[in-house]
Amino acid sequence: MSRTAPSLQVRLLGLMFGVLAAVWAATLALTLSDTRHELGELLDAHLAQSASLLLVHDADEDLEAPAAPSLHRYAPRVAFQVWRDGRLVLRSANAPMQPFGPRAASDGFSFFTDGDVCWRVFAAWDAARRRQVYVGERLGARDEILGAVLRGVSLPLALALPVLGVATWWTVRRGLAPLRRLGRTLAARRPDALDPVPQDGMFAEMLPPAAALDDLLRRIGELLANERRFTADAAHELRTPVAAIRMQAQVARAAADDAVRAHALDGLLAGCDRAARLIDQLLTLARVESAQAPEMGAVELAGVARTVMAELAPAALAKGQQVELDASGTYEVRGNALLLAVLVRNLVDNAVRYAPQGTAIRVRLQREGGAVVLDVEDGGPGLPDADLARLGERFFRVPGSAASGSGLGWSIVRRIAAVHHARVDVGRSTRLGGLNVTVTFG
Amino acid sequence: MHILLVEDDPLLGDGLRAGLRQLGFQVDWVQSGDAAERELRAQDYAAAVLDLGLPRKDGMDVLAAVRAAGLATPVLVLTARDAVPDRIRGLDAGADDYVVKPVDLHELAARLRALVRRAHGQPRDRLQAGDVELDPAARTVRKAGMPVSLSTREFDLLHALMLNTNRVMTRERLEQHLYSWGQEVESNAVEVHVHNLRRKLGSTLIQTVRGVGYVLPGPAGA
Repeated sequence: MSRTAPSLQVRLLGLMFGVLAAVWAATLALTLSDTRHELGELLDAHLAQSASLLLVHDADEDLEAPAAPSLHRYAPRVAFQVWRDGRLVLRSANAPMQPFGPRAASDGFSFFTDGDVCWRVFAAWDAARRRQVYVGERLGARDEILGAVLRGVSLPLALALPVLGVATWWTVRRGLAPLRRLGRTLAARRPDALDPVPQDGMFAEMLPPAAALDDLLRRIGELLANERRFTADAAHELRTPVAAIRMQAQVARAAADDAVRAHALDGLLAGCDRAARLIDQLLTLARVESAQAPEMGAVELAGVARTVMAELAPAALAKGQQVELDASGTYEVRGNALLLAVLVRNLVDNAVRYAPQGTAIRVRLQREGGAVVLDVEDGGPGLPDADLARLGERFFRVPGSAASGSGLGWSIVRRIAAVHHARVDVGRSTRLGGLNVTVTFG
Repeated sequence: MHILLVEDDPLLGDGLRAGLRQLGFQVDWVQSGDAAERELRAQDYAAAVLDLGLPRKDGMDVLAAVRAAGLATPVLVLTARDAVPDRIRGLDAGADDYVVKPVDLHELAARLRALVRRAHGQPRDRLQAGDVELDPAARTVRKAGMPVSLSTREFDLLHALMLNTNRVMTRERLEQHLYSWGQEVESNAVEVHVHNLRRKLGSTLIQTVRGVGYVLPGPAGA
């Protein structure tokens, strides 16, 4: 894992902190609006109550606009005026001289601004509409109370936030512990350990990725086994001709007898030919296997077969074999001309190599339904069923076969057929008695 | 020295047989695992060279079967499988040596000689009996420091007797040591070779056990 990869823990922490902060803010906002509303109602009720007290106050005791004493530290924030017949008869010391509101105003609440001080005012008339009472309260006072209430609420909330944060961090860390444990287990494994990851102590959410990992390990194991088998087989196929060449060369050099030396030199040449052919086939196989998507086009198969057979005919004639191409007209398939030539060459070359002297080899092209079918038949010994099944395994060579094959030819044929989505069937030739290979281009 | 060569590759088998023959080995060559097992059970070979990738029966199976049957014939595994686990498996299955292809002919011969020597409890490559010294690698014999000229068969016979000092070797066993397949065994051949050896090396070296065979008394006196 790269160092710069985002951390799941940080992500979880971030999400949880975000949610916490939002809840915290919403709680604060809700408390603020609710408290403001309740406080407003409560204080308004107080204003109205005070006004009604002032109204029932004995009118004759009214003085000529005297200032009532201030009795409480909150008192300066509350003010009142009592007017009778348009004259200010009673007021608190902090109340202005001019009326707190429009004179003709009816009973009820209103706002009044005096300079930069804003008041909440309740006005009330007596039943005879002679006496009018104003009770005002500075709005700033309300905000101060609200602020004090909010301070009281938000302090515990603010203190809880870091505690919650630490708790969240701990929870997330602890929750993710199995994941870290799995990481440590995986890191501690030997690099070539491909056995399944132990699932004891694993949580349900971790099972799918663990199962996927096991599946991956299994597939890697299969691939490795395949590669090992291939390397072992390739080592055998490559080293044996080299060992033979070396041995024959040492025999030739030490030979006192001309016949022995000539025999060893012949062996040396045969070994070189075999090694060269093996290298050719390995390279061909490597090219075919790496060609996942070769250039495809329309290929005329009869022409390809004719060219290949013209190439291989001399070798067949030298063995006294008859070769025959049975293809009238044109047989067009979609494919890669070079690869298809390699396929036909391997099949015909195989027949020439393994069929005995004086037998026949026939290549036939025909149409079956919409498919083009290529048949290569020979009059050789054919193969037992068990060996037929194993043809195409890399380096599988038919036991006891004397010819210098490597078993790679079949792998090449199968691979090319697979690239062309063609089917390869191997059976016994009913006409010639030997091997019959059928390639069907669907 | 009569050895069995098991190699399925025609070209390599042919080369190994020719090369080992040049170096004085009697070589029988088989190309399949079941033939190898049959021959190892039937004959007393000095050693065997065994390829592992064999048709019909794998070399490892041959080795296991032969060892399970209690045969102690020294076996040199000659194979292209060079991975360490393969080597370990081969040695554990009863191989006495494990050589990866391609191998030098002379090295192969030296290893075979060493296997045979060890199988007979001989610590040195050169064998000594009285004042007679035999060098299997150079195929030379000296008596009191002077070279003695021996024929191939005489040398092989003396070699077999010197490897098996104090052990009575029957005529049949000695014949097996001297001849590979397809070679005509002349009647009385062993007697004739023993006679020649006594003439060249002194009459007391090889003793006759009448009606049984021959023995070369060793220094330890058994």
